[in-house]
Amino acid sequence: MRKITISLLTIFLLTLFVNISFSQEEPLPPSEVKASDTPNDNGHSITVTWKLSPDDGAGKKNVVAYEILRSDNPEGEFEIRGVAPAGESRFDDKGAKEKTDKNYLPGHKNFYYKVRAKADKTFAESEVSNPAFAYGQWYHTGKTTVLIGVILFSAFALYFINLARKGKKLFVRPLAGIEAVDEAIGRATEMGKPILYIIGLGSADMIATIASFTILSRVAKKTAEYQTPILIPCYDSVVMAVAQETVRAAYLEAGRPDSYKEENIFFVTSMQFAYVAGVNGIMLRERPATNFYLGKFYAESLILAETGSVAGSIQISGTDEIAQIPFFIAATDYTLIGEELYAASAYLGKEPVLLGTLKAQDWGKALVIISLILGALAASFNFQFFLNLFRVQL
Amino acid sequence: MVETIGIWIAAILTLGIFSFLYKDNPFYKFCESLFVGVSAGYWFATTFWQVMMPKLVDNLAAGRWIYIIGGIFGILMLLRLFPKIGWISRWSLALVVGTTAGLYFTRYLVSNGMVQTENTIMPIFVTGNLPQTIGNLVIVVGTFCGLVYFFFSKEHKGTFGGFAKVGIWFIMVSFGASFGYTVMSRMSLLLGRLDYLFGTWLGLIK
Amino acid sequence: MRKTLPFAIVTGVGFFMLVQYFVPREEFEIIYEWSLDWIIVIGCFAMLLGLWSLTMASIHKVQRKTPGWGYSVIALIGLIFMLIVGLYPGQASLVKGSIFMLFFEYIYIPIQATMFSLLAFYIASAAYRAFRARTILATILLVSALIIMLRLVPLGPLSSVNQWLANFILTVPNMAAKRAFWIGVGLGATATALKIMLGIERTYMGRD
Repeated sequence: MRKITISLLTIFLLTLFVNISFSQEEPLPPSEVKASDTPNDNGHSITVTWKLSPDDGAGKKNVVAYEILRSDNPEGEFEIRGVAPAGESRFDDKGAKEKTDKNYLPGHKNFYYKVRAKADKTFAESEVSNPAFAYGQWYHTGKTTVLIGVILFSAFALYFINLARKGKKLFVRPLAGIEAVDEAIGRATEMGKPILYIIGLGSADMIATIASFTILSRVAKKTAEYQTPILIPCYDSVVMAVAQETVRAAYLEAGRPDSYKEENIFFVTSMQFAYVAGVNGIMLRERPATNFYLGKFYAESLILAETGSVAGSIQISGTDEIAQIPFFIAATDYTLIGEELYAASAYLGKEPVLLGTLKAQDWGKALVIISLILGALAASFNFQFFLNLFRVQL
Repeated sequence: MVETIGIWIAAILTLGIFSFLYKDNPFYKFCESLFVGVSAGYWFATTFWQVMMPKLVDNLAAGRWIYIIGGIFGILMLLRLFPKIGWISRWSLALVVGTTAGLYFTRYLVSNGMVQTENTIMPIFVTGNLPQTIGNLVIVVGTFCGLVYFFFSKEHKGTFGGFAKVGIWFIMVSFGASFGYTVMSRMSLLLGRLDYLFGTWLGLIK
Repeated sequence: MRKTLPFAIVTGVGFFMLVQYFVPREEFEIIYEWSLDWIIVIGCFAMLLGLWSLTMASIHKVQRKTPGWGYSVIALIGLIFMLIVGLYPGQASLVKGSIFMLFFEYIYIPIQATMFSLLAFYIASAAYRAFRARTILATILLVSALIIMLRLVPLGPLSSVNQWLANFILTVPNMAAKRAFWIGVGLGATATALKIMLGIERTYMGRD
């Protein structure tokens, strides 16, 4: 009887032990936990790395994730900062920079980390890591390719500007849209009709709008010389302010300050189709001889161009919005495509310094072409070193 | 009741705008003027409550006094209304234009120039995959010719002109694709308005 | 000061924004965020200039009794009414069901949607005019547009061919041309920005 009881007890205990072992088997902990400042950041992030648990993908194969814990005291209480999936051996503990944010991670303060290998119901913790503090870097090493690009482009620009200032003549090929500007302004003068200049729907903080201002200056100077009225209905209030300054300066330069009429540069509204409705009305009532559409345009481009066409105006357009260019090509007489919009001010003013920057753009394109050819060959033959030179980190 | 009146007003204004397709007329002019006035008022009020208040007033109320600089430059902008001291507004314009220029210098160079170049670097022959090889080759050649087309300091003559011509053909194919892609979406907008008139307003379409 | 300070601001702020791109430090990040917010605040104040311009232009038309001055009255009434119902009740004006939002829903939205839908007619007339040009380039544009337009239309045995062509056009020559376009725009915009930062391009700033 006694032997049977002991045997039964032993079997029971063995079963219990096996159940416990299978359901609560602890994985081996990760090792070599190291903490260091995250490079190339604003100083509120610490990177934690570790060696995978031997039971991650091997051994007991029961590791499902890793929990990363942090404390400012190696003996103190640790809080969970994040979770990494199994197989991952790195975690960036990113904190906020605002002190009021609950995720605030102060810079220059030591923190300690532990990594927990988690199985289904159990886990195993590593040793505490070395202390590490976060600090900001003065230079983002990942953006070196971009820095080289900036330096090269600026060098090209400065070289050709310098060359132009010394009096070297720089050739630029004719652009139909630019050559038509004089003719278009002349037509308006002969017909005694105004010119309508539309800067687009961009705000003053868009490069296409700024490019439009530079062209407006040259166009306004010609209209001042020919005494042709120029109407500029504006979509944005700041754009209106800049346009007024630009045109006033152009009239001053042309020696016609008294001819400048500020009421010809006015605000309509800052809602897309309401602006179009207002400009359509101006086109049909004022019947301008020439319409310029230069700047940032969206879906309304076709409505404007078609209405101008119905009104009988000669139309010159230009935008960097690729989706709108087909409509301008279809509905206007001349279209400046993309980069040609940015080049237009140099063409119109013919100032050597501006032509110098055009040359720099061309050299930039030449560099891109060389990079494409060499890169294509490198990619075909799998020269990774050369390909890595072109990796751009945003 | 409000909804019914609203639908009738919306439908009448819709017909007013459509009348423009026939020709400019007083009905359309009325709708256009109302549209301009209402939109300007809507834009000002929403920008005031959704942008001005949180960006300036709420930040100052929370003790973030640095935002007063934006407020000061904003007030300087308003000095344009006074001819004798209007020149001071140029300082605000300078802040806007200067910030934009510096910001977009790198933004355009990187995202348009460098990233596009990186994405175009691809193998021009892929062993065992003829369609991919042809596709990659056409992309690289097309990009090359397109860039040649945009050269300003060389006349489009001879071999160079030949490449530029191929470039503009590629560009025209792309523009045609954009055109064709947009046509269907524009048609659906018209169908939407017709559905409103015949469905929501007149109840002829269920 | 009157002439040099604006350009000093442009150059100084411009170069700071360029440098901050490469410096990840918190201080630079904070000033960058402030700068963007300041521009938004300046734009908000500039709204008053725009409103002033629109109001004065309309009032002058009414005073001078220029042809169509009655429509300026309508625009003014619409503007003033929306300002009153939008600002007087406070933030509550933006709640659905308020007079402000009712006017937006039953006047602004329908007119906007109708203006947008006019594109269907304009796209047809633009296509008719463009494709009459009979140049090689217009023909290429037309053929490409037709292939893309017809890709969703059942064409019987030609459907699969057209869809393959459409897919090829969209993924290969279209992509190539767009890349060349974007690279050109990138360089052009960069050059424009550089000209402004160096003070070479000054026309936007006016002069006395």
